[in-house]
Amino acid sequence: MNMDKPLRRVAIFAMLLFFGLMAQVNYMQGSQAEALRTDSKNSRQYADVFNAPRGQIIAGGQVLVSSKETGKDNPKYGRTYKDGMIYSPVTGYFNGGASKVEMAYNSLLGGKDKRITQQRWFDTFIGKKAEGANVELALDPRAQQVAYAQLKKTSRRSGAAVIDVKTGAIVVLASFPSFDPNEVAPQTGLKGGKRLEQLDKQAGVIKPLIDNAMSQTFPPGSTFKTVTAAIAMEQNGLSSSSTVNTGTLILPGSNKALPNSHDTGNCGSRAPLRGAFAESCNTTFAEMAMKMGIEKLNQGSSKFGFNRPVQIEPNLRAAESDVPVEVRNPETGKMEPTGQDGTARSGIGQENVRATPLQMAMVAAAVANNGKIMKPYLVEKVRAKDQSELYNAEPKQFSQAMKGDTADQLADMMRAVVTEGTARNLAQFGIAGKTGTAEQGLGNPNARWFSGFAPVQNPRYAFAVVTEGTGSGGENAGPIAGAIMRAVVSK
Amino acid sequence: MSSIGDQIRAQLPYQRRNAASLALLIFAMVLTLSAFAEVGLARDGSIPAGLFGYGGGLAVLAFAAYFVQAKFAPYADPLLLPLAVALNGVGLAMIYRLDLDTSADKRAALLEGTAVKDAADAPSQLMWTFVGIGLFVAAVLIMRDTDKTDAPLSFTPKTAQRYTYLIGLSAIILLLLPIVPGIGRQINGARVWISIGGFSVQPGEFAKLLLVVFFAGYLVNKRQAMSLIGKKIGPFSLPRARDLGPIMVIWIFCLGVLFVQKDLGTALLYFGLFVSMLYIATQRVSWVLIGVGLLAVGIFIATLLPFMGHVNQRIDIWQNPKPYFDGGCLLESGKVVPVNPDTDIYKQEAAAGSGFPGFSACAKLGGEYSDSAQLMKGLFALGQGGVLGTGLGQGQPWQTPLSFSDFIFDSLGEELGLTGLMALLLIYALIVQRGMKTAIAARDPFLKLFAGGVSFVLALQVFVIVGGVTKLIPLTGLTTPFLSQGGSSLMANWILIAILARMSHDARKPAPQAIQDEGMTQIVSMR
Repeated sequence: MNMDKPLRRVAIFAMLLFFGLMAQVNYMQGSQAEALRTDSKNSRQYADVFNAPRGQIIAGGQVLVSSKETGKDNPKYGRTYKDGMIYSPVTGYFNGGASKVEMAYNSLLGGKDKRITQQRWFDTFIGKKAEGANVELALDPRAQQVAYAQLKKTSRRSGAAVIDVKTGAIVVLASFPSFDPNEVAPQTGLKGGKRLEQLDKQAGVIKPLIDNAMSQTFPPGSTFKTVTAAIAMEQNGLSSSSTVNTGTLILPGSNKALPNSHDTGNCGSRAPLRGAFAESCNTTFAEMAMKMGIEKLNQGSSKFGFNRPVQIEPNLRAAESDVPVEVRNPETGKMEPTGQDGTARSGIGQENVRATPLQMAMVAAAVANNGKIMKPYLVEKVRAKDQSELYNAEPKQFSQAMKGDTADQLADMMRAVVTEGTARNLAQFGIAGKTGTAEQGLGNPNARWFSGFAPVQNPRYAFAVVTEGTGSGGENAGPIAGAIMRAVVSK
Repeated sequence: MSSIGDQIRAQLPYQRRNAASLALLIFAMVLTLSAFAEVGLARDGSIPAGLFGYGGGLAVLAFAAYFVQAKFAPYADPLLLPLAVALNGVGLAMIYRLDLDTSADKRAALLEGTAVKDAADAPSQLMWTFVGIGLFVAAVLIMRDTDKTDAPLSFTPKTAQRYTYLIGLSAIILLLLPIVPGIGRQINGARVWISIGGFSVQPGEFAKLLLVVFFAGYLVNKRQAMSLIGKKIGPFSLPRARDLGPIMVIWIFCLGVLFVQKDLGTALLYFGLFVSMLYIATQRVSWVLIGVGLLAVGIFIATLLPFMGHVNQRIDIWQNPKPYFDGGCLLESGKVVPVNPDTDIYKQEAAAGSGFPGFSACAKLGGEYSDSAQLMKGLFALGQGGVLGTGLGQGQPWQTPLSFSDFIFDSLGEELGLTGLMALLLIYALIVQRGMKTAIAARDPFLKLFAGGVSFVLALQVFVIVGGVTKLIPLTGLTTPFLSQGGSSLMANWILIAILARMSHDARKPAPQAIQDEGMTQIVSMR
């Protein structure tokens, strides 16, 4: 009896076993690969971000953020932030999670974006990892440095934003206090994670992870009069030379007087609007607000960008600036409409009106740019490692906040603030704008503002600066804005 | 009527294919050296020092083996040695690569609970490769052709037939050694190791070969009776009780392995081996059906016994691994609840100071603890690799547990991709097919059974471990022949290749010239 036949059958069976294995490997690595890679239990997808160099973040030809090999297995690459304190409001941090531009351009920086892989399909085919692309910011590094140094001197919360009125490019976005992203970069490991937690939980109003230029709102105070004036001029047919009440105003709800900072000069009893604006008479703008009503003030301010978060980049929005028509009463928990008194105070940027410096810079930009606001953006260009362009910012109109004529008159009124109004101390800086000093409630320091544009004639940049402390916007925020704008304009 | 074996023998050219073998061997070496070069280039941008130490060392060994084979077994199958060298080389390169990634703290973590040096370790793997190929050389030198039994130190594969029962006994002793207190060691949950003087050996690897010898010897004697005598009921012919005895003994023995060592894979391997050899010997399908039926009954009984709940769990994890990730607990109701670090009960147990919080948490719930992290992380590695792999040295194999032993196939899958794994499976398939061809070409029934058995055991072992780590079948721990880190496995598999090479030489060499006309029995050419 011969064993060849069963041997052949067993050989065939052995081959079937191998076919089974081959089929399974094909199933796993072919059709299941994507599902396995993105499985929620798969920590590889999270660790993976540390195993390839991320793209650089560049501004004005300077490399602000770059990746370097750590020489370790995990993370294989660290992240270095040049002058992290200065640029963190824009670059954000990266430690697996991310914020700001690091987050908004995560897929391009990390090399996972389809725009890269499609361009590099051959690399993908041969299994070469797609390299992260470099992101170029619109930021002006010199002005940013000046801004941070100036803000740091205030030793309390402060922020500054400067935008190019023609394009919407953000050239300065500085904040104090800030944090150093190097402290939480991947190479810091667990220590970095703990530091991030600590930064996140920092006590009081000072939260370094939240920048004071576009992510934090403050009461805008008198700088908001620009908005109130613009709406009133468009709706009630006022012009800068129309005569308006500047004297005392008794608020109807409480029968209390709304004070002016001074009752001399233009703020005596009646004056042209231009004068009332230059000397920042509260009563004039409070009355305007009451006349139009809170709804109109709300709708008008929306054209400037209030009442919704402003989208800066994909996945990156500024905090929402608000002119609320109703607010939740903290005691009853019910929504209550803003009354007459509240409307009057809203008109001068108090009550529940809040704005980010970026928002006030957008208001100034509307004035400086014939009523037109361009969509603000941070990233100018994205280039792959081979220098091919993957993204180029296209200036887009954000809104037409007011008529060109209104804007021209407001621009003139802003110039008057510096030549003959509350900010005469700023004449040397070659800027125009509006001062603002907002009370932030009992026991809190004032929010001191200056927002405007430069150069005075043919304005190119709009800005807003907020600082906290005693005193007024003109005296404190103004010179800081002046110093920043000198750096911006002299470029 | 001429059998297939006669046809194959008749068609064999009786050529020495040493040139072909050498060319293939050079190709296998180029493959290995390229693997080393790629590891170095990917990681440091330069050719690694290991290329010369490891690749060069392997090359010297492989060529020595080649020359011994060419001189003493010139008609040996030309594919066996180069294929084995290719596998061993790829495995060595992978372990070298894993070594580079095994940082100090990772190494410490691996050592935790494993007691012996268990982390990837290329120098020791090279040493075992040296020993393994040395054994190949020795085996080819010592073993003689079947027709030269008169030579001094005479030992042919057939010699083993004389000591069938002695060999069977030694196989069982080897298998039982790990449960002897003192020398037995439990590593990664399986008690299949013995440790003598600092060296750890898996006696099961050698027992496997001895069992093949025993089965072959036993079945050659009994096969006539077992295949011919028996009652016929319908299409099935039932065996006599006395013929059924041995298979029952083996069955009980395998179940013993399953219960004591809790090792379903090994039990499956031995039982599959026995059933396949029984079939080869008797050519009767009824034996296969009886065998498969017995195995199914055995596993069914195992799943019913309360203390064998982990077999159930293994099967459960295989079908649905996700709930067990990071620790799951199978309750008696059949429900799976997590007992991982995120759960309250885990935290309670951890706070109470339990060394194994997940385990004790599960015990408190009255269930069976298990963790599918190994399996799933292995699958994640496969997913990472995709079709073309990340490239050697560019993946993250340190994320895979036991990436150098049980899960080395997944590690290779990550870096070589589907393409690489298909190539590796093809190499295995070719070795198995070459072995089967040797079996068919062999003239002696004992040698036929023996060659068929060792070839099939190789195929089955690859199937069980690779099928396990790719989720084709429930995961059980076995070594991946020639790839896994480990000396016992390498030595046993090189001996296996040596035996096949020697037998293929025996089967393929020209028949003795007929001195006189033998009439009808004369060997004639079929062409």
